[in-house]
Amino acid sequence: MSGNPLLSVQGLGKAFGALRVIQDISFDVREGEVLGILGPNGAGKTTLFNLISGDLATETGEICLSSEKLTNEPPHIRCRKGIGRTYQIPKPYGGMTTFENLLVTAMFGAKLDEDAAHRSCAAVLRECGLADKANRRAGSLTLLDRKRLELARALAGNPKLLLLDEIAGGLTDQESRELVDLVRRIRERGITVLWIEHVLHAVLAVASRIIVLNFGEMIADGAPQMVIADPDVRRIYMGLEA
Amino acid sequence: MTTLPIVNVQRHTLSSRIAMSLSVVALMALIAMPWWADSGWIRWAVELSCYIAIAQMWNLLAGYAGLVSVGQQAFIGAAGYALFVLCQKFGVNPFLAVPLAMIVPAILSVPTYLLLHRLDGPYFAIGTWVVAEAVRLVTTNLDFVNAGAGLTLRVMTQYRLHEREVAMTILCAILLLVTVGGSYWLLRSRHGLALTAMRDNPVSAGSQGVNVSRLRFLVFIAAAVGTGFAGAIYYMAQLRITPASGYDPKWASISIFIVMVGGIGSIEGAIIGALLYFFADRFFSQYGAIYMVVLGCLTLFMAIYARGGIWGFVSSRFDAPWFPVGRRLVLPNDKGT
Repeated sequence: MSGNPLLSVQGLGKAFGALRVIQDISFDVREGEVLGILGPNGAGKTTLFNLISGDLATETGEICLSSEKLTNEPPHIRCRKGIGRTYQIPKPYGGMTTFENLLVTAMFGAKLDEDAAHRSCAAVLRECGLADKANRRAGSLTLLDRKRLELARALAGNPKLLLLDEIAGGLTDQESRELVDLVRRIRERGITVLWIEHVLHAVLAVASRIIVLNFGEMIADGAPQMVIADPDVRRIYMGLEA
Repeated sequence: MTTLPIVNVQRHTLSSRIAMSLSVVALMALIAMPWWADSGWIRWAVELSCYIAIAQMWNLLAGYAGLVSVGQQAFIGAAGYALFVLCQKFGVNPFLAVPLAMIVPAILSVPTYLLLHRLDGPYFAIGTWVVAEAVRLVTTNLDFVNAGAGLTLRVMTQYRLHEREVAMTILCAILLLVTVGGSYWLLRSRHGLALTAMRDNPVSAGSQGVNVSRLRFLVFIAAAVGTGFAGAIYYMAQLRITPASGYDPKWASISIFIVMVGGIGSIEGAIIGALLYFFADRFFSQYGAIYMVVLGCLTLFMAIYARGGIWGFVSSRFDAPWFPVGRRLVLPNDKGT
């Protein structure tokens, strides 16, 4: 871990009408770090991802990747700069095959030529356990495979920063363990990861730092064991008395 | 950095090779029609070619770019009028005027898109219809183009019937090459991959590196030019154009019927739909209103029960695409199809 901030979020704010969903959030993420993001439903976690990936426009604050300001850049530029993401509810290209889903990101996100994209996507499919479903229409995949596809598609863009939005939801313990191993391998390749997750044991197994959101505000930021022991986090997120 | 192993990707199938060979034969037969078919058949071929081209462009627009337009008649009429004006007012050779006439829909499409691109779904559709009506009203009030009375392509009388038929069939072959062949080439390219992704999920495509707004803009211009090309040929064959015929909203209805019934989001669907509409129009249009009601009900039936149209139904049962645009990864022990 080099320790340089890869992502810098400063004073981020977003409202939907009168409802403020993100309020003055600031944090840095260092290169190679795996940052877990926790919080109850409606805390603003996915909105935070949408602001970082550019799917939603920011109202206040700044987002920088490798010191380059991305606040006003559209999603496709942010992807090309190195931000890959998955969606909480998978959004595959249903009429295309699994392999073609990855090719889009490889050829437009990572800007690979056709041959290089073919090789890279075949390797990513193998890594994510989807090689045998390469020619299946994405719309016909099971939920588990769709989640794998979300991750594989984001990896095909050769990202510097990977935003994972609840990819462990609905998985069995064995599948969760496999996923954690995969995220570890992704980190070992030097990719920085932001991971929103409700499956606590999965995210705690790999995250080096955790932040917790509640009603759009950041209520905790620190090492996993310290954050989990925080009385406010235990009360708000876990429903436990301090 | 490790070198990744070479992988094999299949882009053609046996069915596509057969379809490609048949397409070449059909194009040759079309070009040779003046030597083996009578004038009535050639008129039919021109009409069918125009239907296929217009539907293919609408398919690209609505089926891939997600831009449902009910105002493509603006480009048909604009190109038709441009052709007549170039020939009648400026003395340009009519067969040279056809490609020149495409400049007008290309120019018209730019402000149209810039005006409408912030609108979504039904609002965009209504916007395109309003633009088409505005262009029709402007044309109706322009004395330069003989206002509402329209124009006649008198220069065509200087050519013998056989010369006209040779030129028309060659133009139709070029039209099909540009619109159908062009769509096939585009959809097989890397931009086609992006277009197909956009068709399935534009939000996701944007976050995976696809510049959705630029691609939509380019598709809108390309569809306007292709539609205009067909319009210029159609009205050249008719030898007459008026604002009511050139900007007739029936062109939008025809496009929607052909693509919805044939199969939206596929090249094959637009061809099947165009053939179906063409033969229905030939043999059942004498029934007037009842015929229109049946066509409308068929479109509605397809929209509710068979979203993929006839081609969607066929392709879900038989993996034999005529114009495959996908990429099949050949896996170990996989001999492909």
